[in-house]
Amino acid sequence: MNLDPLNFLGQTLALLLLAPLLSGCIKNWKAKLQNRRGPRPWQVYFDIAKFLRKDMVISEHASWVFSFAPYVVFLTALLAGLMVPMINAPAPLRLFGGVLAVVGLLALGRFFLALGGLDPASAFGGMGSSREMTISAIAEPAMMLAIFTVAITAGSTDLSQIAQSTQSATWKLLNPAHVLAFAAMFVVLLAETGRIPVDNPATHLELTMIHEAMLLEYSGRYLAFMEWGASIKQLVLMTLLVNVFFPVGLAGPQASVAALGISLAAYLAKLLALSAVVVVVETTNAKMRLFRVPDLLSTAFVLAALALLSTFLFQ
Amino acid sequence: MNPSDVFPELQPILEEVTKRFNGRIESSFAPRLNEVYFHARMDFVSGFCAHLFRKWGGRLVSVFADDARAGTGVFHLYYVMALDAAHGFFILRVPISPETPEFLSLTDAMPAVNWQEREIQDLFGLKLRGHPNARRCALHDDWPEVYPLRKDFDLRTVLPPFQGVRHKFREVEGEGVFQVPVGPVHAGIIEPGHFLFSVAGEPVLYLQLRMFYVHKGTEKLFESLPIPHGVRLAESISGDSSFAHATAFCHAVERAAGVEPPPRARALRTVCLELERLYNHIADVGAICTDVAFVTAHMHAMRLKERILRVNEQLTGNRLLRGMACLGGVRFDFNADQLRAIGQLADELEREFNDLIKLTSDNSGLLDRLEGTGVLTPKVARDLGVVGIAGRASGFDHDLRRDFPHAFYDQVQFTVPVFTDGDVQCRFDVRRDEVFQSLAILRQVMGKLPAGPIAVPVGEVPPDRVALGYVEGWRGEIFHWIHTAPGNRLSRCKIKDPSLQNWPALSEAILGNIIPDFPVVNKSFNLSYSGTDR
Repeated sequence: MNLDPLNFLGQTLALLLLAPLLSGCIKNWKAKLQNRRGPRPWQVYFDIAKFLRKDMVISEHASWVFSFAPYVVFLTALLAGLMVPMINAPAPLRLFGGVLAVVGLLALGRFFLALGGLDPASAFGGMGSSREMTISAIAEPAMMLAIFTVAITAGSTDLSQIAQSTQSATWKLLNPAHVLAFAAMFVVLLAETGRIPVDNPATHLELTMIHEAMLLEYSGRYLAFMEWGASIKQLVLMTLLVNVFFPVGLAGPQASVAALGISLAAYLAKLLALSAVVVVVETTNAKMRLFRVPDLLSTAFVLAALALLSTFLFQ
Repeated sequence: MNPSDVFPELQPILEEVTKRFNGRIESSFAPRLNEVYFHARMDFVSGFCAHLFRKWGGRLVSVFADDARAGTGVFHLYYVMALDAAHGFFILRVPISPETPEFLSLTDAMPAVNWQEREIQDLFGLKLRGHPNARRCALHDDWPEVYPLRKDFDLRTVLPPFQGVRHKFREVEGEGVFQVPVGPVHAGIIEPGHFLFSVAGEPVLYLQLRMFYVHKGTEKLFESLPIPHGVRLAESISGDSSFAHATAFCHAVERAAGVEPPPRARALRTVCLELERLYNHIADVGAICTDVAFVTAHMHAMRLKERILRVNEQLTGNRLLRGMACLGGVRFDFNADQLRAIGQLADELEREFNDLIKLTSDNSGLLDRLEGTGVLTPKVARDLGVVGIAGRASGFDHDLRRDFPHAFYDQVQFTVPVFTDGDVQCRFDVRRDEVFQSLAILRQVMGKLPAGPIAVPVGEVPPDRVALGYVEGWRGEIFHWIHTAPGNRLSRCKIKDPSLQNWPALSEAILGNIIPDFPVVNKSFNLSYSGTDR
């Protein structure tokens, strides 16, 4: 199978452009639900453009790791995104890896994000890094178990393969394994994208921050890549959720333009629906006490383990 | 002194104290029915305070100095004991000779006076003896050896710019213990204060506070102004308590001048004090929610607060009620439209605040964050003399509105909510209950609003009078003590904001909690930097 240049280009552009818009939509809807007017959905584009133009202030204690981290975070998110089928089933970088590669790339990004938080030796960055690592140590296994559940049913760890087989007639959308794995993945999504009840993306209180604490020392271009990378990662995780668990409308290989159009529409509708759920969760919940977060993620892990178990029980 | 100079409730205490300390009290006088002054020597202070505390439940609410060298050749120290049950203040005055400028510390026995004593040392150059930690407090470590509240210090003195170390922090040492410095400049629009956390992972082992970054010499400034101008300065002591501070100042001046504001003025003062309490309490309820990321409740609270601020503007022309207070009464009367606006506001708030409370109490995640967080035990609260909201959440059953009725509070019925768990939830609940009490007070005042003038002329206040003014602000008790000078001026104005008393309690409340819970604990106290630093 060749690398289809159009597919590759299209998905890259979609990742780069759709991700900020999705973040903006979530912010806007959250504001609406809280009786505020809120920023326009496309405000995030302006923010990134502004950060890209701005000068940077870099701590004198920072080393090359600090400058290196934003690119790693950005590129790993983008590469991982190219391995997940968005609007047509063979993802552009399918050949380079399946679900393990996606999880690995995201972990690499997070590793550098945490290093970037530690590197300038500010107290807040270190706190953020330590919390991020604590949380991801539980979130990551839960995510892998959940995806393996689907992978076992599909008989492959190739995400494109999984997405295609979940569309086949024999696939039961509401099988217990599937539902449990989806629930686990949703909790992981909240944790990995720094959402309430795990983290508050909109807070100004440094002492309570997780993801934002690691970005506190960043400014200008680096901050732009960090923010952009974070929104791409969010899009990748949400795509993973909607396309692996509900691949309704996903176009197959050599699909017609019309099929691609339908696929795009279905994909966007699914994304927005998932975002709406995230918004409702964020609006109706308070943040958990930090030491309670592992409980929540352990629940996700248990759900994922049960899902895996039930693939064998209910075959 | 004649016993009939004081309230009947105070007479037995006065008699007992006079008899017991016969010979050690050099003289005494009662300029007001609930304000008695005793003159004695420094070595008498601890015995006097301890006796009042043990036998009569007195509490030391303020300790301050006055440079009276021009008239009497000595500095004076004042110890203000509040006898809440008997509704009176016993104020002990002791002389400190300029040749041996030293005074004995009470901090070992009463940790509540720790910062106040150190402030006297910093601002008057009176050395503390027997204080466990007599370091700089009101002034920072780079301040030269000059004493700004002495009369020979010129207000316009320009000091050399800051050099060197502002403050040496005490660090906790040990494996895996880290220091997390926060501030003095914070995110958000708040004032400066430096917090140094020593943490082992997330749990806080020790929190050291460094305040007084915005010391503005307000007390010194009062000495340079004619008394009526002082009202405007008092409004700026702490922005969120503008009206309470201005009213406390007016109260002190009126008491010194022997003037009583007319009933309508006292009723309008009560209305404004309650409006100030309402907007701050409701904003705090929301802010506590936002610090645990339950932003929805915060947004509703902000909407309600805005509603009150607009009514404030409609009533007084200022959203924070500035310009309303004046000596002898208030500056603006309310017409029928304005009174109706207050009534409407009270009805709306009752309904909408109920909804807001339902929104918060239905949220189990929120309760989980607030309950058991930042516990200030009643014992620690009592040792530190914690007052106001934070005090009432930790079993301190005092409220100047009830115990020392000022303004119109003797004409209305209300209860003082008191809780004993001392956690964030209790401080939240105190605010919640006080909002409903405030609404009830507003309605009662509106129901029996007296007619008549809204102010009486105060005229020139005679020199060398002393008076204590007091107001229960929304945060807690506010005291203004004045000593008048010739030419309608002040030779001393001592301001006691509840924040000064409560800040040290924050260090205690956070122990054993984790760092990400600090913002909500801090917010549940919501102390003023400006009121502390002055």
